[in-house]
Amino acid sequence: MSNFFEEYEGYPNYEKMAIHDEAHGKETRKKLWMVFWVMLIVTLIELAIGAFADMGEINKEYTFIFFTLVKAFFIVWVFMHLGNEKQALKYVIIVPYTLFIFYLAFMAITEGTYSSVVRKIAQAVLLHQ
Amino acid sequence: MSNQAATLAPLRKDWDGGVSPFGVSYGKLFMWFFLVSDALTFSSLLCAYGFMRHKFTGEWAHPNEVFHHFPFLEGKNLPLAYVGFMTFDLIMSSVTMVLAVEAGHRMAKKEVAIWLFFTIIGGLIFVGSQCWEWYHFITGPEIEGAYQGVFRDYIMNGKHIVNPHFTGANLIVNSYTRLPTFGDFFFCITGFHGFHVFSGVVINIVMFIMVVNGVMEKRGHYEMIEKAGLYWHFVDLVWVFVFTFFYLL
Repeated sequence: MSNFFEEYEGYPNYEKMAIHDEAHGKETRKKLWMVFWVMLIVTLIELAIGAFADMGEINKEYTFIFFTLVKAFFIVWVFMHLGNEKQALKYVIIVPYTLFIFYLAFMAITEGTYSSVVRKIAQAVLLHQ
Repeated sequence: MSNQAATLAPLRKDWDGGVSPFGVSYGKLFMWFFLVSDALTFSSLLCAYGFMRHKFTGEWAHPNEVFHHFPFLEGKNLPLAYVGFMTFDLIMSSVTMVLAVEAGHRMAKKEVAIWLFFTIIGGLIFVGSQCWEWYHFITGPEIEGAYQGVFRDYIMNGKHIVNPHFTGANLIVNSYTRLPTFGDFFFCITGFHGFHVFSGVVINIVMFIMVVNGVMEKRGHYEMIEKAGLYWHFVDLVWVFVFTFFYLL
């Protein structure tokens, strides 16, 4: 299988750029295992909070969302190696997605809360009649 | 002309053409784009779930009371323990996958195969766990002597019959809450994610066969493992969000 871009003179061979030696590999593995332990501890804390902690619904929700974002960051940045990519690729992956998701989450929650209120008012009106 | 090109080559900037402005190969870049679009699909599912959750505050089922089974420990109340185990399993298989990718960067064929094998096992455990959980969600809590019907309401011989012993869930009705949307979202979101895990396992098996046959070695690089790894980590990433929004909140 030949690469289409290899026909161009001087096109870099990106496939082989990540190849590294044993010393570098040892360092990387150490980092990966540390991230694994962090994520395991975060998951255990989440489960403990979910099962036992009594800290109010809203506080719980924010804690869970915070821990989820921490885990998501580690997966994307370390496991998927986005942290090692070029700035352009980071922006092109993260920025459009983040913009869209903030908008979508905001709309979903606002509209959900609104329709909940409308529903309760409608029920009250129907009962009153 | 060719002389001029040769002298200009080192001066090329990222966006001048002739190089990838993102510093990655074509395949990897489009794997990322695919993952972003897939992430948007899952986000819209989870946002729709959030909408319903906020619309029906107070009436929604408590996940603590629905998911409290554990295999071989039937009848014990262990809220979310099994989902916790599934999360651990998927994170673990993500780690073995990233170790396979790292071994690929060192061109260590045997190590890649071993780590990929563990990843496949982890994925199969996850898919099996999800089957088990679906089974318990569909059949519901086991009530002594009660007939576990498929439908709460059904029509037979033109008569509308109500099954008072209905437990469990389907797309029309469930015994956990009054709202059918709860069951619908459970089947839709975890089903869609489970299908992704299944296809990830199939991709990993293909990669495993290719590695063992020495296809990657012949190619001179293990980038295919990296692309499969991106997909597999994405599956893990989605589960982290499903775990939080569906089971914990």
